[in-house]
Amino acid sequence: MTRRRLALVGAVLLVAACVERLTAPGHCPGDFCPSGQITVVDTLLTSNISRDSSYRGYVLAYQSALMLAAHLPGATDTLDGRPIFRINGFGARFRISTVDTSTGAILGADSARLQLYVLRRDTATHNLQLQLYRLPITIDTSTTFGSLAAPFTDSLVRTVNVDTLLAQPGRKDTVTGDSVVVDTVNHRLVLSLKLDTAAARYVGTDSGSVAYGIRIAADTLASIAFGKGTFGPVLQWYLRVDSLGTPVARAPGVLGAALASFVFAPSPAPIDSTLAVGGVPSARSLLRVTFPKVIRDSSQIIRATLFLVPAVPARGAPADSLVIEARTVFADFGGKSPIDLRLGDTTVIHIGSTDTVQIEVTNLLQLWAADSTHPTVLVLRPENEAQFLGEIRFYPSVAAAFRPTLQVTFVRRFPFGVP
Amino acid sequence: MRRAVGTVVAAVALLTASPPVRLSGQDSQFGIRGLGTPGRWESVRSRSTGGAFGPFDPLSPLMEAPLADIGQLTATAAGGTSHRDVQEGGATTALRTTRFPLMGVAGPLTRRLAVAAGFTTYLDKSWDVTFRDSFMLRGVLQRYTDEIASDGSVADVRLAAASRLSRRIAIGVGLHVLAGSTRMTAERRFDDSTFHTVRQSAEVRYDGLGVSGSVLIGVAPGLTIAGWARSDNRLRAKVVDTASAVTDLPTMAGGGLLFAPSPSVRFAASAAWRSWSRAGAGAFDTWTWSAGAEFGSRRMPIRLGARRGQMPFGPGTEAPTETAASLGTARAFAQGRALIDLGVERLERRGGGLTERVWTVLVGLTVRP
Repeated sequence: MTRRRLALVGAVLLVAACVERLTAPGHCPGDFCPSGQITVVDTLLTSNISRDSSYRGYVLAYQSALMLAAHLPGATDTLDGRPIFRINGFGARFRISTVDTSTGAILGADSARLQLYVLRRDTATHNLQLQLYRLPITIDTSTTFGSLAAPFTDSLVRTVNVDTLLAQPGRKDTVTGDSVVVDTVNHRLVLSLKLDTAAARYVGTDSGSVAYGIRIAADTLASIAFGKGTFGPVLQWYLRVDSLGTPVARAPGVLGAALASFVFAPSPAPIDSTLAVGGVPSARSLLRVTFPKVIRDSSQIIRATLFLVPAVPARGAPADSLVIEARTVFADFGGKSPIDLRLGDTTVIHIGSTDTVQIEVTNLLQLWAADSTHPTVLVLRPENEAQFLGEIRFYPSVAAAFRPTLQVTFVRRFPFGVP
Repeated sequence: MRRAVGTVVAAVALLTASPPVRLSGQDSQFGIRGLGTPGRWESVRSRSTGGAFGPFDPLSPLMEAPLADIGQLTATAAGGTSHRDVQEGGATTALRTTRFPLMGVAGPLTRRLAVAAGFTTYLDKSWDVTFRDSFMLRGVLQRYTDEIASDGSVADVRLAAASRLSRRIAIGVGLHVLAGSTRMTAERRFDDSTFHTVRQSAEVRYDGLGVSGSVLIGVAPGLTIAGWARSDNRLRAKVVDTASAVTDLPTMAGGGLLFAPSPSVRFAASAAWRSWSRAGAGAFDTWTWSAGAEFGSRRMPIRLGARRGQMPFGPGTEAPTETAASLGTARAFAQGRALIDLGVERLERRGGGLTERVWTVLVGLTVRP
């Protein structure tokens, strides 16, 4: 009986222990608000960035995802970018038939068709011309602009006016055999150029390798980018092969570029005391930040902005705005610091501009506040390294009047528990 | 016994059932800027009489001495659902809450000694406020919405003992452990999304201690007077094991008068004083008084009462006032082994240009197995 009584009492207590709490949000008339308030502090960290430096050579021209072509006359020099590529051939002999392994000497090429992808162009550019030059097949990743001066002068094999080709019915030139396809979804042009026997010489002693270079010209803003790799140059040979004394025509499979790069002039200025970002080979800058303990330990960062003052106007092709990004690193090893790719903030640099650049780096500083072991280092680099010729240089921390600064807006710890 | 179990099940269903619109029992806008809203240490029976029967009710945790007459093992619990309208500057906001502010078990230990244990709400600290404002930030006027919320309470866990020294005199003492926690959040959302949303939260734990004593004196047949006093030391608030605030708690004293001219008619009145001004700026000492009556048999009485008093926290130089009227009844089942108390209270609080009007429906369950 006593046990049953206790069970009954327990049941009542159990029910009462299920405490339900519900409150609906209400407004807070002035005198009836909580005494504690959210306190926002905005501070400018003018001297917390130091030991900043620049490094160049992260992504070289041949490592770029694009081949840059430009011809932009300037006040003192001309920005001149020229794609170069080499396509290896089939060798001196080719299989006559697919059913046996007998081969015949390749006598030469009737013609060839070269396909090029234009992945970036300015639609405001008019009268865009491509000039295709034959280059020595010895070109490689170390080939310089100067070393190709001669072939780019005397080895012109074809000239194509892209605007004229686009204006043709069906975008096909029935005279030259050239055509162009416009991919409006991906904003690409696919150029298909017919090369005759003279332009596409199949030299068996060279294993059929050919190398070409492209110069461009336009009324204004001549700056485009050709694709590489999947979207790189492709060559379709139409060969003549000896079959027991009889020349027979063969159209083997298409060949991609074994080497695709670009050369350009003028060369980027050497790294100096300024903070360089961009260019080819790409340059990055490291900024070491002394992160105040008061912000790190007892506050919540709600906005952080990095201010950078350009030391010179941003250089590059006017049509190609440069996007630079700020990231942080896993460890501070100077120029070889491994970059933390989880978080990043970007801003657009307009070529020729000298306006102060602002980059919102809130999430990076929040990361530093959350993880005190994380190095407080900012890396500035182009979003797409070596895919633009543009470069910007900022004043470093030693330039007291124009040094990089951080503006941080943070909230102090709310006074929880204080009546 | 089977009938008693059935009654308990029905009562449990009543206690746990929530109406479609739920809302606030003891929360008050007046408790936001301060320690909180003090709880009412009364059973549904006492509260239905405006609190007047509190000093004489063994199931109300206000006094210990009435426990001496508890007679048998008894468990009780109470729940309340409130609908509160807050009126300020011509605008009215409707708020809702459901609370279970009281639970306890009591019974005789020996022929002359009875003990009780249970908890009640000491301070209710559940609120959620939102407001819009703006300020200059980085040279631009930034508009934002703040939402600051607290969810929790400080409970008064009481261990009490009482003894009837003679036919006329009973005394009691109690030890009060104050414990509880609130989950607090502070959030600011800027209209300009460039500024990230501020969101901070913390669990604030509270602790404190108190002692109380009370006496019940039968002056004459049908006439009883009561007196009680209580002292609490301080309320310590801790955030992550660091004390964020220590606030002095009040000393309290009160008394009451019960007049029962016949077994079916009972009148009571009570008053209490609390030195809440010790809690710091914006806190006031408070007086409360109440009067009530209970008619009919204890199996199905009619109760009514009124009370008036002051709230301990509020803006300005005067304590906000509180006025209430209440009505209730009860129904005994299973030969008096189970009792369901029902009550309704209309409450108005005024102060600093703000008025709160509250309807509260109360349900109590008492079991004597």
